[in-house]
Amino acid sequence: MMKKRMMAAMLTGAMVLSMTACGNSGNTARTTGADNGGLTPAASTGSVELVVTTTFAGEDTNAQNYKDAVREWESKTGNSIVDTSANADETFKARVTTDFETGSEPDVLFFFNGADSNSFIEAGKVVPIDEIRAEYPDYAANMNDDLIPASLVDGKRYAVPANGIWEAMFVNMEVLEAAGVAKPGADYTMDQFKADCEKIKEAGYAPIVAALGNIPHYWWEFAIFNNQSPETHLEIPENAGDEIGQTWVAGMNDIKELYELGYFPENTLSATDDETFAMFTEGKAAFLLDGSWKVGGIVGACQSDPNDPATLDLEKLDKFDVTYVPGQGDRKATDLIGGLTSGYFITRKAWDDPAKKAAAVDFVMYMTSDELVPKFAQHGASALKNAPEVDPAQFNILQVKAMDMMAGATSLTGVVQDIFSGDCRVSTFDGMPEIVTGRVAAEDAVAEGLELYHNQ
Amino acid sequence: MGANIYRNKKPALVFLFPAFLFMAVLLYYPFFKNILNSFMHLKQLGAAATKFNTPWYANYEEMLHDPHVWTSVKNTILMMLVTLVGQVGIAIVLALMVDNISRGKQFFRTVFFFPIVISATALGLMFNLIFLYDKGMVNQLLQALGKQKLTDWKAEGIALVTMMAPVMWQYVGFYFVILVTGLNNISDELYEAARIDGATTLQRVRYLSIPLLHNVICTCSILAVTGALKVFDLPWVMFPKGMPLKTTFLTGTYMYYQTMETKNVDYGAALAVLIVVLGVVLAKVVNAVFKEKDY
Repeated sequence: MMKKRMMAAMLTGAMVLSMTACGNSGNTARTTGADNGGLTPAASTGSVELVVTTTFAGEDTNAQNYKDAVREWESKTGNSIVDTSANADETFKARVTTDFETGSEPDVLFFFNGADSNSFIEAGKVVPIDEIRAEYPDYAANMNDDLIPASLVDGKRYAVPANGIWEAMFVNMEVLEAAGVAKPGADYTMDQFKADCEKIKEAGYAPIVAALGNIPHYWWEFAIFNNQSPETHLEIPENAGDEIGQTWVAGMNDIKELYELGYFPENTLSATDDETFAMFTEGKAAFLLDGSWKVGGIVGACQSDPNDPATLDLEKLDKFDVTYVPGQGDRKATDLIGGLTSGYFITRKAWDDPAKKAAAVDFVMYMTSDELVPKFAQHGASALKNAPEVDPAQFNILQVKAMDMMAGATSLTGVVQDIFSGDCRVSTFDGMPEIVTGRVAAEDAVAEGLELYHNQ
Repeated sequence: MGANIYRNKKPALVFLFPAFLFMAVLLYYPFFKNILNSFMHLKQLGAAATKFNTPWYANYEEMLHDPHVWTSVKNTILMMLVTLVGQVGIAIVLALMVDNISRGKQFFRTVFFFPIVISATALGLMFNLIFLYDKGMVNQLLQALGKQKLTDWKAEGIALVTMMAPVMWQYVGFYFVILVTGLNNISDELYEAARIDGATTLQRVRYLSIPLLHNVICTCSILAVTGALKVFDLPWVMFPKGMPLKTTFLTGTYMYYQTMETKNVDYGAALAVLIVVLGVVLAKVVNAVFKEKDY
């Protein structure tokens, strides 16, 4: 546990520095480092077909960047990609895990490097970066190794990160203005948030959009975080009754209180995430807790053709902003959740296949090159040693707002649900509707999950 | 040689063997393996079970205390009743009406049968849009009629109706076609004789069509009841994870949820055994109730 906390602390410091630098790129001297996007000779002449799965799909900010990059790599190398990417939800995670268990894993995957990857790392089905470097010394050579998260299983590094993530609160400024509420700032507290929610509700809008029966993840994470501090957030309680366990229970009860106050949409228990998100973009709700990838979803919702960036309605996009999740106790609003939570894995199956090995290595090197990573990282962080200077002019207004928000972050803490992963989350994730309606006590749900976690 | 070729059964066995092998490998082996897995500790799909649960019948014990099992069994039985009344019942009415019109029979056959050829997943997505809370077709219609407040058609009290209505609608056409075919097999001479005897249309339906359709109705009822046990895709698309509040689980969707979503694979295997037992018992009951008659 101490090891995980130290890693988190190291990541936090480095990432915040990295993000702050990104937000002020114009003032920061940077040099473009060695380009790892060059093709390895073995891969450049082939017609290899690689099966690749990533989370760059649907509303993900980088869905189009990924498609463009894949197309470019295919035309450069003559190889082809069978893309099985999908939205990063629990179904996707279950599919990937099952693919590994049944021997039908992809050749390369961009996947979570926390506990979600434990099962296939334990089974030896992905290749450590050091093993790849023994044969391809330039593999991930442009990355700062200290920022590449190590596996929770064996402490080895497997996944080459492309872009970091953050979780924050998106706001629909049009709704806030209609309700007479100011944009929340860096010192925003939970009490102020509740007062604002009351005003918004009285004005006839839904204060918070969340599908608690479908995606309670972000509220789960921040509600727990709000009862802790960045130093303790990544600790998994021994049981629901201990000090940390009680903060988890308090977090669940905080969500219950917001539900009882009527701040979530009326259909929060039966709606899907897409439905509630549509309420937000259509100006029927004020606040949305989500991740950096949702910037792309909001931008897409402001385009008349979601696949054509030229149809972006800038005026509509300007009505959205992103700010800090209200703080409470030892957690300041500017203490964020985030990190380099995903990366490119090469599977043992591809590595042991002489026809695919070089192509898989080349593909990952290309996708994590100095040129491509900043495109993917945008307003987030990266692990590049020498990130090229970023021109803010290439970003849209919401991305610029996100950079400003990130520049004010005081800490970046890892995602505890990435450690507390698998069926132990069911009682508080799928069970969230029962908790908020009082059919299951928060303490019992937390206790059930922790028991499963410790029995794993 | 001669007539001996008719006594030698070996060639038939050779031809039957591939089908037997196919069934043994793809049906009976997984079936018995699943029963074994329901007693084992198995938390990952594809992983080999290494030990028995403690006690070995732990999953079956848990089933007795799991409220969602009872919810799913109750909903499945409700689904059976709905399919019987809603699918077969409506199909009978439609078939009798279409049988009594002189023009457009083929048109109605095609129109009523059409939902069957559409994938249940696509239908689920379509009905998701129809029952959407904000800007759904039904709520828009209600708003146009003056209703102010939006209705959450997937809320706890009404979710089962919202789930069962599309399932019912989808299969009406299937039973309709079977029943219309059954009606076509009834000799016109019988109707002619009844007409000469002064029977009204309703009397002809009551005393001729329905009694002579008895066996077809029995077959439809057995198909409907056993089919209800297997309904999965449309309810899962519309109400994933038993939403809301795990009240819409059917036995099939709950088994899938436990296996694929919560990774409680051995418990999912035990639920699969429950589905088989439930299926066999209900098939026996239905066979006894809807016994075919010899004419």
